[in-house]
Amino acid sequence: MRRIDSVYGRVEILKRVLEKPTKQSHAFSASRSFSTEGAYGGGGESQQNSSRVKIFDRDLKRRDRAAWLSRNKNDTFVDAVAENLLDRLEDCKKSFPSALCLGGSLGAVQRLLRARGGIEKLIMMDTSHDMIKSCRDAQDDNSIETSYLVGDEEFLPIKESSVDLIISSLGLHWTNDLPGSMIQCKLALKPDGLFLAAILGGETLKFVLELRIACTLAHMEREGGISPRLSPLAQVRDAGNLLTRAGFSLPGVDVDEYVVKYKSALDLIEHLRAMGETNALLQRNKAKFSIFLSRIFSILNRETALATAAIYDSMFATEDGTIPATFQVIYMTGWKEHSSHPQAKRRGSATVSFTDIHKQFGGQS
Amino acid sequence: MVRISRVMLKEAGNAIDKTLSEILVCPLSKQPLRFCEKTKSLVSDTIGVSFPIKDGIPCLVPKDGKILDEDADASKAS
Repeated sequence: MRRIDSVYGRVEILKRVLEKPTKQSHAFSASRSFSTEGAYGGGGESQQNSSRVKIFDRDLKRRDRAAWLSRNKNDTFVDAVAENLLDRLEDCKKSFPSALCLGGSLGAVQRLLRARGGIEKLIMMDTSHDMIKSCRDAQDDNSIETSYLVGDEEFLPIKESSVDLIISSLGLHWTNDLPGSMIQCKLALKPDGLFLAAILGGETLKFVLELRIACTLAHMEREGGISPRLSPLAQVRDAGNLLTRAGFSLPGVDVDEYVVKYKSALDLIEHLRAMGETNALLQRNKAKFSIFLSRIFSILNRETALATAAIYDSMFATEDGTIPATFQVIYMTGWKEHSSHPQAKRRGSATVSFTDIHKQFGGQS
Repeated sequence: MVRISRVMLKEAGNAIDKTLSEILVCPLSKQPLRFCEKTKSLVSDTIGVSFPIKDGIPCLVPKDGKILDEDADASKAS
């Protein structure tokens, strides 16, 4: 497994192999043609390449997404990420009476919360009304006072210094303005408040991206003049910068890799499509997601889709015939500054030199 | 019309719950919002936009906002 180095914090590279259940309820039907034509959100990169991503149906209503979500509660990858995030609350001595949960895999966070972190008031926010409604309907734990709200991470409608904790599980990577969103989160936090986020990292599906370049389809990239940066997702080295630029104190970055096995490449495409569809941010950020997908599968039409899938299957299938896809998740933690946080001293204000320390503890070199 | 709003108030208690009313601000101007009884929406006076409340859930995405006319009557929330 390739080593991934991180500048900030510790790096854990764990390979978890999760069995991916086939989605019987939503079989990929090759006879439907999907297209991403339609309004691209403001910002984002403009796609000059003529290759359109024909993966998902733009006429698919938002209601269908919520329905899909309710049928597929057991997305183990999403649950694992939410669980990891929520676990961190137990590591803190602090309790967080009010918490804001931002979209992405809202449902998983709400379901797995289980009174961790001393949360008394929970506010769920997502850009999709249907998504919020289905979360409200699914609420089975009445011990935490939960409010629901439809809102946009890039235009956070939350007053400054009003919440103790902000959690976002697999949601922020689809925002066009990630630094801006993070700054708004920081502003919304009370002093000594915590920001916890999980985003997909640039190594996600890297293997698949690299294959795509090696494929004959790579000529599209050269013709289209797309930048060599393969993925519009954040790199690990960016994550630390993002946290400091947003003004968080005590930033921490962790990386995890999840290897999800799919029965076939078409299942992978279907899962991506569904993840994008159920992620309400997608509706606004079609440009970003479709760029991501197009860089993985530069698929012009159904025939090419099937041919590409066949190539992946033949090249990547493991002994048991499944194909593995890597999802890199970057966990970011940051605190809103508070007088109790250790601060770096001003440059030149040191009163002890390294030589002194060396003498004190005895030379070892 | 008046009958309907009375029913809604009875059912919903406050149109939006107390927690939200304390922390919500306009997504664009970050200024406080005002709850408008007539249209059951949250109004941001600074920029003259009203945000609907659908099914008891405030929708504060910028694209859902309705620009208010200069007249007293705000346009109906959809």
